[in-house]
Amino acid sequence: MRTWRWISALAVLVLVLAACGTQTGATPAASEDSEESEPAATGSEAPEATDGGTGEPVAGGTLVFAGARLAASLDPVQTSDGESFRILQQIYEPLVDLAPGSTSELVGVLAESWEGGPEDTVYVFQLREGVTFHDGTPFNAEAVKINFDRWQNFAEEFQANAYYYDATMNGFGEGNLIASVEATDEFTVTITLTEPSPTFLFAITLPAFGIVSPAVLEETNASDPATTFGEDVTLGGTGPFTLESYTPEEEATLARNEDYWGEPALLDRVIIRPIADPAARLQALQGGSVQGYDLVNPADYETIQGEEGLVLVERLSFNSLYLGVNPTAAETAGNPLAELAVREAVEYAIDKEALIEPFYGGRGAVADIFLPPSSGWYDAVLAGVEPRGFDPDRARELLAEAGFDESNPAEVGFWFPTEVTRPYMPDPAGLHQAVTQMLEDVGFVVVPGSDIWDSPGYLGDAQNGLYDLHFLGWTGDYDDPSNWYGVHFGYDAEGAPAPQFACDVEGLNDAIVAAEAELDETTRGEAWAEVARIIHENVCFITLVHGDTALAFTEEVQGYNANPTGSETFSTVWLTNGGE
Amino acid sequence: MGKFILRRILLLIPILLGLSLLIFLFIRLLPGDPAGAILGERATPEGLARVRDALGLTRPLHEQYLSYLGGLLRGDLGHSFLTNRDVVDDFLQRFPATIELTTAAMIFALGLGIPLGMITAKRRGSWVDQFGTVVSLVGISIPIFFLGLMLKYVFAIQFPILPDSGRIDLVEYFIPKVTRLMTVDALLAGDFGGFVDALRHLILPGIALGTIPLAIIMRITRASVVDVLNEDYVRTANAKGLPGRVVDSRHVLRNAMLPVVTVIGLQTGLLLGGAILTETIFGWGGVGTWIYDAVRTSDYQVIQSGVLLLAFIFVLVNLLVDVSYAFLNPRIRYS
Repeated sequence: MRTWRWISALAVLVLVLAACGTQTGATPAASEDSEESEPAATGSEAPEATDGGTGEPVAGGTLVFAGARLAASLDPVQTSDGESFRILQQIYEPLVDLAPGSTSELVGVLAESWEGGPEDTVYVFQLREGVTFHDGTPFNAEAVKINFDRWQNFAEEFQANAYYYDATMNGFGEGNLIASVEATDEFTVTITLTEPSPTFLFAITLPAFGIVSPAVLEETNASDPATTFGEDVTLGGTGPFTLESYTPEEEATLARNEDYWGEPALLDRVIIRPIADPAARLQALQGGSVQGYDLVNPADYETIQGEEGLVLVERLSFNSLYLGVNPTAAETAGNPLAELAVREAVEYAIDKEALIEPFYGGRGAVADIFLPPSSGWYDAVLAGVEPRGFDPDRARELLAEAGFDESNPAEVGFWFPTEVTRPYMPDPAGLHQAVTQMLEDVGFVVVPGSDIWDSPGYLGDAQNGLYDLHFLGWTGDYDDPSNWYGVHFGYDAEGAPAPQFACDVEGLNDAIVAAEAELDETTRGEAWAEVARIIHENVCFITLVHGDTALAFTEEVQGYNANPTGSETFSTVWLTNGGE
Repeated sequence: MGKFILRRILLLIPILLGLSLLIFLFIRLLPGDPAGAILGERATPEGLARVRDALGLTRPLHEQYLSYLGGLLRGDLGHSFLTNRDVVDDFLQRFPATIELTTAAMIFALGLGIPLGMITAKRRGSWVDQFGTVVSLVGISIPIFFLGLMLKYVFAIQFPILPDSGRIDLVEYFIPKVTRLMTVDALLAGDFGGFVDALRHLILPGIALGTIPLAIIMRITRASVVDVLNEDYVRTANAKGLPGRVVDSRHVLRNAMLPVVTVIGLQTGLLLGGAILTETIFGWGGVGTWIYDAVRTSDYQVIQSGVLLLAFIFVLVNLLVDVSYAFLNPRIRYS
């Protein structure tokens, strides 16, 4: 008997707790709980929400938002991933940034104006006056110099993680792109480069180049690798939000910076929660514990659109999935891909459009060139390329011309990675299956292969040229063709082509070198169009799809401006009910 | 007793040393490379070489191990490759969340498992017993991932009476971090509403995580009680006319508890280290997600030191279990 009593007591306790919660939720947490707990009752609330949606922005309230993870580090320069940037770009600000929604238009942030462009080695930044860091110390030229000097002189332990500084400034210390950074007067900074760089200004728009309060840097002894930024570093930035609290793996709470130099944020608070699993993120939105989340699984687009009270916000692609084509891959001697006609046949055989609906939830674009349509260089580079449309008959003809038929089919290895998804590649195995089918339809014999993603697994083998046909892709760092074509096809110091594609075409390297060095915008566009033409004509790779990504919100969340580059602020976001 | 505990603690040293070597070697046998994980698509041969160099991965293996060991002896468990943060700090930040979740799961598992085991044993062969067997089999076999998502779907989305994820309603309650146990911190802050809310957040993940231990504990309790019920002293006690309740608690349950306590210890140790799935589904920031992320990104330093810390705790929990034997069965002498 006693045992039964014990069990019932436990059950009662659980019920009481459950009931308790709905009660407490009904009074103070009404804004959140009432909507979630009565899906049927939303009818009565809907008009109000729609009214608010078209009305003027209202200040106030708290937005709870889920990403996949929190920040890898709270030190901006030591981060290079979108999840870290999401948080840090609310707190820290760079000298210049991309205009909202744009991938190529620059606006001053901490710099009010600047002199210097692609052809110059000297940049003079006129800084904004009257800006204070969250810790109350003033922002000035000396602060900018201290930050640049810290990055430039990083200890080795830091260098491993400071990817963007390394990649955009050609490494650290003497001999890299930065010759000197001087505080010419209180609000003027002069940055001298060792050579002209058409991408310098774009590079420093990255959230990794956010300026941190020198007082905070000193206090935390931030240049010593043994003591790095922890959750206690909350007041180092100048941005529209301060970091109110941070618990790794749990939450980052951002609070409106009341002393912001610009237009203050509308929301009182933004709480960012890490939920790694996309299905769990959707459930959190449906369950009402978050009001928005990023990286919606394309398979869930329909669910969200069909559910009353939920809204899908699309983010145009800044990525590209491609099929690497390597004619000299070690595995298959006598590789049929060595013949141009066979490589062309591969591209004609693939119905790129048909991949978008099933794998990207219908949101994406056929990739005629490597750069996505959201790039400011898109039209200029596209001018160099004559896209090969889906034409299976032409593919069969080309294979026949190359001497392949049913008795002597073209046999190609075709690889895909496992244990990974990327925005450009939501389902590698499924995509592989679909493309394999298309290739087999025109007469290829496909030998499938797969390996786990992490280097030296799939990535390493692909980059070392061990795979003949293989999936890989790219998400742009900033909007310049050099970050797409240059990074992938530039020859190494010994004059050898990148082993991944073994694209050894006469004139390609010269074209890339010329395009990298070209400083005039129009001519630069033409130069990269020429690079794209050479690569396309020789089918060194086949660009397939630019996959869009999406965020989901409840309908009372307004004003989120998605940017293809992920450069997005919460300061314009507001709630129709103002958090009431 | 004191001697026994001291010897067990001394024995920890060779165990942990051996373990550190094993973990060190195993993770280097795993596919994956921290430099590749850091750089991703952006990896170039030069970039990889530079990062490997910066992380000290180009040094000979024995040198790497000796420097790791040297750090261990000085109490320095190293820094994460990815975040540069001190591994012990990171562990201590996350461990309380795991303790809290494990406690909730064990309360659920013990609170239901022991009484149900007792009932089914006493009514062996009845429909209650057969039903219990089926339920415990389902409990052991059900994938946590599925169970977690289903629990959320039913109790947080269809009938929204419980929160779907997280440790507390962050919009409503701001609890200063003291112990990092949300329930305790809420009480310390004098925030009773927050305490109740934190408890509510524990229910679904506690059930998801506690289901397997519940099933195991119930089966072990049942088997053990069945054995004891057949003992002469139970028959004697009954024959003496002792009330059933006294027989059950003093004679049956107490003697049946030994194997159960062992299982409880093992299960607690397992839960403390491995609530990865539950933590992921419920957005719960404990060590499970932390280690999982470290494995995913080949963060060797976090894996080797994190696993070592968990192993240390596992051994400690089991030591506690051994010590508790003495209280349950005074016949056991430690020597």
